[in-house]
Amino acid sequence: MREIKCETVRHELEELMLNDECSMYVTQHMRECGDCREFHQKQTKLRQIVGSLGTVEAPPDFDFRLRARLANESSGNGIRVMQWSFASKGFAAATMMLLFVGGAVYVRTIMNQPAKQAIADQRTEPPQPPPKPVENEARFDNAPSVVVSDNFSRSVTKERRAPLSKRPTLATVDSGVKSPLLFSDAPRHSAIFQIDASASLEPFQVSLDDGRGNARTISVPTITFGSQRVLPKANSAQKGVGVW
Amino acid sequence: MNTLTTIDELAFAPPLEQEVLEDTTSDHALLEATRTGDEDAFAELVSRYRNQITSYIYRMTSDYDNAVDLAQETFVRVYRARDRYQRSYAFSTYIYRIATNLAISELRKRKRRKLVSLTGFFQSTDGSEPKELNPPDCRPLQDSELVDAERRNAVQRAIGTLPEKYRAPLILRDVDGRSYDEIARILETSEGTVKSRISRARGFLREKMRAYL
Repeated sequence: MREIKCETVRHELEELMLNDECSMYVTQHMRECGDCREFHQKQTKLRQIVGSLGTVEAPPDFDFRLRARLANESSGNGIRVMQWSFASKGFAAATMMLLFVGGAVYVRTIMNQPAKQAIADQRTEPPQPPPKPVENEARFDNAPSVVVSDNFSRSVTKERRAPLSKRPTLATVDSGVKSPLLFSDAPRHSAIFQIDASASLEPFQVSLDDGRGNARTISVPTITFGSQRVLPKANSAQKGVGVW
Repeated sequence: MNTLTTIDELAFAPPLEQEVLEDTTSDHALLEATRTGDEDAFAELVSRYRNQITSYIYRMTSDYDNAVDLAQETFVRVYRARDRYQRSYAFSTYIYRIATNLAISELRKRKRRKLVSLTGFFQSTDGSEPKELNPPDCRPLQDSELVDAERRNAVQRAIGTLPEKYRAPLILRDVDGRSYDEIARILETSEGTVKSRISRARGFLREKMRAYL
């Protein structure tokens, strides 16, 4: 019972300020309890010593230095990397590194995509026997395709040698949609395909064969031109025929 | 003596002159003036608190130069945040909270740096407890003033050995004489926690200062 009393009294003594007077209850208890009296004396002395530490004065140039510091603060509003903490610098460096690596991986993925697609296309395509040379005829299976005969090859060759040749080289024919797929000589070094407006959007396969066993098939991906409309006649290679 | 005769006079009574004077010189008013660009108002705030803050941080860190630097940093932070300051509690509470945070983070930095203690060099090889370096004092007998100074140094050293969570409330209470309520606000904790920490801190100090009590 007495210990509880002592604890309560000491608790109250702890909370008193130095110059505060104790309550009657505490004063009476301390008259009877030597331990609490000793505790109170030591406590008071300790607090007097601690309180005697007093206030340390700031140096005389405190204001001047503070003004200089504030002036520096206001003059340099930009981000000061040199003042960043070590953790901030590390975080910034890690972020930069992550962005760089991520960017490199992304670019690499983008660069590899066409090659992979081409490889995949090659794998999916069944090996085709070299198309037999067919003169003046193009075959259509599922996709519209153009088979260029020897004449064309020769004509192209000739044209490269003598570009003034104007005669239409080869009319390849059936597009499967009952409209002719015409193949004509273009001026200079190029050729123009004329494709019917109702042709399907499946990819083209152009087979070239020089008649000497050298055949080559070129897949041309589907190309869309946005809204489909018939070009004005002035742009068409053959007058009077609406072309894409 | 002026008397109010109508309810309108009560509602729209002109402020007393004394109140106006008090208001313009209060900490809140000075900070408000600082916000509008009055540098003199901020200078007045600095002159009011520079010694208190320097002293408080010095008691916390036991390093005068460092304390001055941190006190300046405290005022810089107050100045920077002058637009965000809210009058929810006293300015002294606000500035002491900034100072406390700076002092505690400085103490933690020191811990991380792991300063080499001279105690380690005098550790005995037989595994017994290390002893503080305490060379004999060969100076002539000192007068009472010097004894007091020595005692103050001993207290300062003893406070410096307290854990930081006990150090701040003890200094605020026994050195600065602040109320439990204000200390609780400064340290952002409950009043009960503050009381118990102060009690423990005094217990530690009693043990360390036994020779002086």
